[in-house]
This record gives sequence, structure tokens and C-alpha cells, in this order.
Amino acid sequence: MPHCPFKYQHETLAEVNRFPHIVEFGLRNNNSVTLDSFEVRKANYLQLYYIVDGKFDWIINGKNETLYPGDSALILPGQEIGGAHGYFGIGTLYWIYLKVEKIDSEGYLVLGKWSRIKKSEWQIIGKILESNQKPVMRAGEFSSMFQVMQSEIENSEIGSFTRVNYILDSILILLCRQVTRQAVSRRDFPKSFTNLEESLRKDLSHKWTVEEMATLMGLGTTTFTEKVKNYTGFPPLNYLINIRISEAIRLLKLKDINITDIALETGFYSSQHFSTTFKKLTGHTPNEYRKRYTSN
Amino acid sequence: MECIITIEIGTNAVRILAIDLKGNVIAKSKGSYPTFHREPDYSEQDPDQMFITMLYVLKNLLSEQIHPKNHTVISICFSASMHSVLPVDRHGVPIGYAITWADNRGKNEALELKNSGIGQKIYEATGTPIHPMSPMIKIAWMKRYDSKRFEKTDKFITIKSYIIQQLTQDYLLDYSLASATGLLNIHTRKWENNALDFAGIKAGQLPDLVPVFHPLNRLRSEYQKSLGLPKGVKIIIGSSDGCLATLGGGIWEEEKATITIEDSGAVRVVGKKPLNDPQQRIFSYLLTDKYYVSGGPTNNGGIAFEWFTKHFGDFKEAYDIEYAMKGLITEASTIKPGSEGLLFLPYLLGERAPIWNANARGSYFGINIKHERQHFIRATLEGILYEIYSIGKTLEDHKNFNSLTTNGSFASIPFCTQILADLFNKPVSVGKNPDSIAQGAFLLSATDLGIFSDLEDAAKSVVMSTTFEPNYQNNTAYMKYFSIFERLSSKLHEEFADIARLQSEL
Repeated sequence: MPHCPFKYQHETLAEVNRFPHIVEFGLRNNNSVTLDSFEVRKANYLQLYYIVDGKFDWIINGKNETLYPGDSALILPGQEIGGAHGYFGIGTLYWIYLKVEKIDSEGYLVLGKWSRIKKSEWQIIGKILESNQKPVMRAGEFSSMFQVMQSEIENSEIGSFTRVNYILDSILILLCRQVTRQAVSRRDFPKSFTNLEESLRKDLSHKWTVEEMATLMGLGTTTFTEKVKNYTGFPPLNYLINIRISEAIRLLKLKDINITDIALETGFYSSQHFSTTFKKLTGHTPNEYRKRYTSN
Repeated sequence: MECIITIEIGTNAVRILAIDLKGNVIAKSKGSYPTFHREPDYSEQDPDQMFITMLYVLKNLLSEQIHPKNHTVISICFSASMHSVLPVDRHGVPIGYAITWADNRGKNEALELKNSGIGQKIYEATGTPIHPMSPMIKIAWMKRYDSKRFEKTDKFITIKSYIIQQLTQDYLLDYSLASATGLLNIHTRKWENNALDFAGIKAGQLPDLVPVFHPLNRLRSEYQKSLGLPKGVKIIIGSSDGCLATLGGGIWEEEKATITIEDSGAVRVVGKKPLNDPQQRIFSYLLTDKYYVSGGPTNNGGIAFEWFTKHFGDFKEAYDIEYAMKGLITEASTIKPGSEGLLFLPYLLGERAPIWNANARGSYFGINIKHERQHFIRATLEGILYEIYSIGKTLEDHKNFNSLTTNGSFASIPFCTQILADLFNKPVSVGKNPDSIAQGAFLLSATDLGIFSDLEDAAKSVVMSTTFEPNYQNNTAYMKYFSIFERLSSKLHEEFADIARLQSEL
């Protein structure tokens, strides 16, 4: 059994910089209520909780949530969390606070160098975690992962840095998968695809990748590509071009927006790229097409 | 090899087939587009996305499967879903998205008109049941509730007219699709004044009417060039999906009917006269100037079984609905016909024929303690097919038929085709080409080219692959339950209205 209570805090330990990205990591057991011990406030870190036993009534982002054993909660910097009655609740839980390196120009979280998640993958994972509407998730498999992290940190055997960080990466990835799986019903392809199409149209200027689209549908890229081809007749990126061009056609008919702006707004790299794609598909350039509607 | 290209602009996708002059499919391709529901009753599509998708699929099919094999396209024929409305301004620019057949925004206008004397008159003149699907109702709604859009509109066209206009510059509409707008008098083949008045528009705001064989003017040069089509290719405007599925179903005047079931479904017959049902349950649309296709549509075909599968099926992998459906059908076949007294009313999407009640809702009836999961599966399938049978029965009030043909993904599941044969107590044949709409479009083009002497000759060329013979004992079992099904579907009028109202308040 893991030692309880247990707490790692990087400032108080001798090896200050052993896990510089972990602000706090601990396991505790609350037997009694300490009033005002957990007030609702904005998180400064990426905060993850895992309930071992007991019952916790919290308010997360203004919503009441009750957490039971096997539940985890993921709070991102800037989101709000606190006890529903100002205290933690009765029971045992793990918590871990991770430092986020910075928030990049697009407003997304960036993890530190410790993480082995590829940058392109993290862009997707981070985006999905941020769009998550349900911070409380079932995550029974985390129990052993937290225990391993605890014993690695306590024992500091060789390789503990790598193992702890590997588990942290795994947890973030599993959370991301969980978010997409609970957001989409993996039974109703047309419905999930409609939701995806909505996301694409909302952010058409974004350079969508197949990985991103697949993740939003809770699928791997191979299955995703095959399913989309089957359903729409087009590979995902060609289907996306259909949407880009149809939106561009709509904008071309409005007279007061110039072609470069249309190109960028509908997700083409440049007006040149837009022009070639448009011509390949429709047989004429955007300019010629626009003239058709302004001349008569 | 010479071939005919059929372009079907369907509800969810455009399907393009190349068929050789003997009727063999030599290439096919599809591209889907989304339907948007801004409000629960709304159902809209982006006309430019539909056009682009059509162009993209056509171009790929030609450049990958036709030109490299040195096939020569000699004719192209169009088909499209019925009842769409697209308002365009005087420059031909669409004002908003196209409104599809499934759009129910005009349900109150439809109800009001249906119960009036003028409603009955308009139905008799136009052959289109008074229902929110009817473009006449949609335009009337727009005039009342979206007057800005209505005022800006120069022309009210259909999706097909838009696509033809993009290709050739002309605003055209074939008599088949026009007869499904609720605005055309199917007897005189002129726009019907009462209907125009109700919609609040003038005939000049509608596309020019042309026969289904009408050859289109030259394509705009850029499309002619980018598609690589030969100069002499003859492009005909074609007809509607419903009329062409009937022609492709291989039935003609003789005593036959055809059943199509995809997501939705219909039972149809062909005749020289329209069928006029005093209770307004049956549509009659023009196939040509001499022939009418009459029948009844249901909203709840394969889509109702898909609903069941999504929620109660066993999914091996994510989104593998085919596997789940197969499993359910195997389970259903372990239960006796009639599901041991469990009945299912399939009205998940309200219903058109024969009850024409947008408020109708689904229900399982007669559940007892012995019923198991398998009974529910079988009852669901039977309920969908009872509904088809009840449309067939309505048609039989007007016209006899002694055999049927069937097509569409749901109706051609052998388990379902057998139930249909048992219900109708008549042999039911499945066509060799499952794409009956494309088959119909091919026959239209081929007749135009003189390959067949007339459409009757063309319809007779349709080859059937299998025939399911009725089982008398099963029929007896089904009929006992069907009589209860039929009574339930008409008895619950008040309860349907109440529950639909409560649901709409959620």
C-alpha cells in the first residue's frame, strides 16, 4: 500500500530541481471537515485529481460536481475549482499540479521539455482538453498509475524521472481520448461527422490535419480516413477542400471582400494556392467567377 | 465503349454512374454533403457545396474511370430529390441555403390549408398532398415569417435548377420535379393559379418548364473544357428521384407496384391517369406528358432500423453499423412472424402516407413478460414494413396490382423482402441493379437515344435477379396483427398531438 499521507513539493525537498514541472503531488486522507480549506478559486496550474475513496462535492467552472472513487478531474490554468461547501470532502485522493510552460500565441497551453508528446500532437491534445465541457471523468486505470508515480518519487531509484514523466504523458493522452469518446457517440457516424463538419466550418481558416479531425471523432487516422471515404466519397482532406471552396464561392458573390482575404479566411495558404485549387475544380479562376456575378 | 452518365442529386449525396448501352454499370462514384438543422424543424443544404461536390465527383469519375478506358459519353441524364426550394436574387445568387423536402417549418400553414375547401381543390389540381414538404407551403411560410428574404427573391428555383443554371446559364425545371412543387396543375401542365396565390408568387418567379427529355444548351465553356466531354454529348434534364426509381423499378401500366426503401420509403404505381384520393393520402406526379407516377411516401424506412441499431445493436468496432445490423437481423430471424404479439409503430419522424400526421410518434405495443430483446428487434423491422404495406393497401383502393418489385438498401435485405412478400401475399422481385434511380435515368436517356421505342419498352428491359414468393401461413399471422397496427395508427390522433406538443416544449 502506498504511504498516506504523502506529499511532494519541489521547493521543500532537497533535490529542488528533480521534477521542476511538478508543483505539488500528493495523496491524502481527510477524515474530518476543515472549514474554508478549499475555497473556489482560479487554478494557476494544470491540476489533476484522482479519487481513491470517499465522496467529494466540488464546484468546477461554476458547476456542481460530485466525485466518486475512480473519478478524476482535470482543471486547466484559469479554470475555477473549489469545494461546494468550502472544504475538500471526506475521503482519500491523489492530486498533482503541473506547471505549464507558457500559453502560446494562439492561446494554447505548452508543456515543458519534460514531456515526450510531439508538438503537433500536443496541439491537438491541448485543444481538445481545453474544449472539454466535462472536467470529471471515469478513469479507474489511473489508480495504479498514481501509485507507481508515488513510489518512483519516494524511492528515487534510477530512471524515476523518465518513468514519472512517461506516466504523466500517458495520463494526459488517456484524458484526451476519454474527452473525445464521451463527446461523440461512436455508434452514430453521420451525427459525429456532422459535429466534425460544424467544427471545421467554425474554424475554416485553420490548417486542419487528418490527425486533428480523426481525434475529434475519437478515431485513429487509418479508420477515420477509411470511414470518411466510405461515407462522403472523398478522403478527409479533399472533403475539407469541398467545404473551403463552397464557402469561398459564397464569399466571392459578396462584392466587398477581396480575394486574398477570402483565400485566408477559407483556409488556403495564399491567394495563389486558392486560385489554383479553385481553377482545378471549377475550370475558372476566382476572379473570372466573381465577374460572372458582377457583370450581369 | 459508348456509355450514358446518370447524375443523381440525392438527399445526402450525389451519385454518378456510367452505364453502357446494354445497361451494365461500368463505373460509379459518390460524394456526400451535409444537411443543416438551424432549428429543429429546419432542414437546409448549401447549394454551392452540392454543385461543387457534383462537379468534383463527375470530374473524378470521367478522368479516372471513363477517359483513360476510352469510353465515350454520349448522353447525360439528371435526377434530383423532390420538393426543394432555393430563393435566388436577380443576379442568380442564392439567398441563404436551399430548403429540402424534410423541412417542416410550414407545418401550421399546411394544416390550415389542408382542412380548407381550397386545400382540397389545390390537392386535386396539383397531385401534391398538402404537407410542409410542398414548396408551395414553404414559400407561403417564407412570405409570412421571413418577408425580407421573400422580398429579395427574384426567383424560387429548385436545387436541380440551380445546378443546371450553374452549368448552362438557363433557369429550367422539368415537368416531373415541377409537379412535386404543389404549384403545377398536373392535368393542364400549367402553373396552378390557386396554388400561386396561396404561395404569394407569380408564375414569372418560377423556372421555365421543359419536358424530361429536354436537351440542355451547351455547357459553359469552362466546364466543357475541364470535364473533357465530347462536343456531341447530349445532356437531358431528366426527372425526379421518385419518378425515375419507379421507371427503374421496371414496372409499367400492367398490374404492378414498386417499393423503394432507403432511409425513407415509398410504394408507387404508373398509370395514364393520376390517382385522386378523397382523403389526400396519395401523390400523383408527372413522369412524362402521358404518364403519372402515383403513390405514398413514408418518413420511417431504414432510418428507423438504424435508430434501433445505434442504440441497441452490438458494435464490434466504432461506427461499424453494418456489422451491428447484420447481427440484429440474425437475432430477429429466430422469432416467429408477428413477434409473438409485439407491435411497433415506426413514427419516429412523424409520418406522411398514409396517415399524414407530422405529430405521430413511435410506440411498442402489446409487450408482455415473455418478450425478449429479439422480439423487439423483429417487431421493429415488422413495424417499418407494416407501414409500407399500409401504403400499398391505400393504393389498392384505387388500383389493383398482383406483383411487386423492390429496390433500395433496406427493402433489398432478403429478410425484409420476404416479409414484404408475405405481407402483400404477392410475389416480390428484386432488381438486378440496386440503384433504381440511376437505372431509371439510364432508361430515360436510352429511350431518348432511340435504344428503346418508348418508356414502356424501356421499363420492360429491367432485369430482376430474385423473386420472393409469399408464404400463406405467414401472411395469415401477419394480417391478424396488422389489423391492430392499422387501428392503433389512426386511433392515437389526440395522444400524438399531445405528446408532440410536450416534446416540442423541451
